[in-house]
Amino acid sequence: MVGRLLDSMTLGRKAQRLLTLITLLVLAACTSREVIVEGSFPTPLVDPVPVSVGVLFTQEFKEHELVDDATGRGEVSWRVSTGTAQVEFWSTLFPAFFQNVVFIESYEDLQTYDVDAVLIPKVADVQYAIPLYTNVKVYEIWMRYNLALVEPEQIIDEENASISLENMQPFAEWPLTAYGKTPTAFMQSDIDAVNLAAVMALRDAGANFITSFLRVPGVMDWIKNPEEAQ
Amino acid sequence: MKRALLSVFMLGGLLGGCVTANVDEMTFDAPVAGMADGSIVVLGRRHAPDYDTEPDFIDCIGNHISRGSESISVIPERQFVDALYPWFEPRTAPLSIESVGRLMMLPSVANKLEDLDLNYMIWIDGRTQDTNSSGSMTCGVGPTGAGCFGFGTWGTESEYEATIWNFDDGAEVGKMSALTSGQSYMPAVVVPIPIIAPVQDTACDSLGTQLLQYLSAGS
Repeated sequence: MVGRLLDSMTLGRKAQRLLTLITLLVLAACTSREVIVEGSFPTPLVDPVPVSVGVLFTQEFKEHELVDDATGRGEVSWRVSTGTAQVEFWSTLFPAFFQNVVFIESYEDLQTYDVDAVLIPKVADVQYAIPLYTNVKVYEIWMRYNLALVEPEQIIDEENASISLENMQPFAEWPLTAYGKTPTAFMQSDIDAVNLAAVMALRDAGANFITSFLRVPGVMDWIKNPEEAQ
Repeated sequence: MKRALLSVFMLGGLLGGCVTANVDEMTFDAPVAGMADGSIVVLGRRHAPDYDTEPDFIDCIGNHISRGSESISVIPERQFVDALYPWFEPRTAPLSIESVGRLMMLPSVANKLEDLDLNYMIWIDGRTQDTNSSGSMTCGVGPTGAGCFGFGTWGTESEYEATIWNFDDGAEVGKMSALTSGQSYMPAVVVPIPIIAPVQDTACDSLGTQLLQYLSAGS
């Protein structure tokens, strides 16, 4: 349609192409928003829990993104990539919260390091709300995680010399919810506001994790005796 | 064209003079003694479901106090909240001075607060919001240029309450509030000229001055 419209105008071939590109870019900008969550995350002020933990970020966790395609007229598609920020945030929090932390990247890491348990976070759901949909002047992000603490042996696949999460049986497994919001502000774009709400949600996830971890069933027994409680 | 623009600016100036802001101040506890030297932190309440106390308003109050007294050191909100993460997040922030006592039982938190040498913690709760609006404006683009014509007006209201906690005494020692409102206008003859009532700035000046008086009393 854009091409047909331009054909009816007396423009050079190059000018037509340029105008088509600009028009399509403008239209695309009007209908989709992409946020790669970025922020600075503080080291928590806590007295470390005296255990040695391996942390396993799955590929799915590292590349997590929320995709919401527009379905109606006037709606906007959103793509919110939280994966990089998730890894950055939890990589700051866990080493401060546990006495000893090893980030497990491979089967060899599991064989090399002697850890009491492996902690596996999973993003179960992320939802968002913007003033356009709610009529409330705040941008909101909700996150839900599933966390699992598992014996290292449970996720070692000796046959294939790899890590396998298929048949693992965690000795502690719990959900964690988080919420972040930011008010509308003068000269602030939707993208900046959603990014800020996501950063607030991550901070809230950390606060929830720190204040609730010791109340998770099975965790206290494990901390008292990491070798036997599992 | 020049004459039209001049007229618009003159109209703007006239209406700007009409912009008013009403201030309502209350101090529940009279100041007993101020602080000579020491540090304070001004924090915004962020646990309400439908609003957040604006960070720039908190910065404004902090700057007002810093400018007013050289002996009072104001710790920036973001720096304080990050230094004590996660204990002053919306989920975990203490709602009463008694809760701070419980927080101080954590050795790392107690040490950090001691390092900061904090005398007062001031919590600000409130927001600025637009109220009524009326008028209409039409904008158009033609071969010779673009322009707008019309008139719009809207009201703005700020309502903030400050609660002061004295860290040395472990007690809540004062509350004060500021309620300001004003009307903004936007006439448009070719170019829209916004004449914004400085409602939030006035609330900041009002609350900042009250806090400064409180903290400087007797010194």
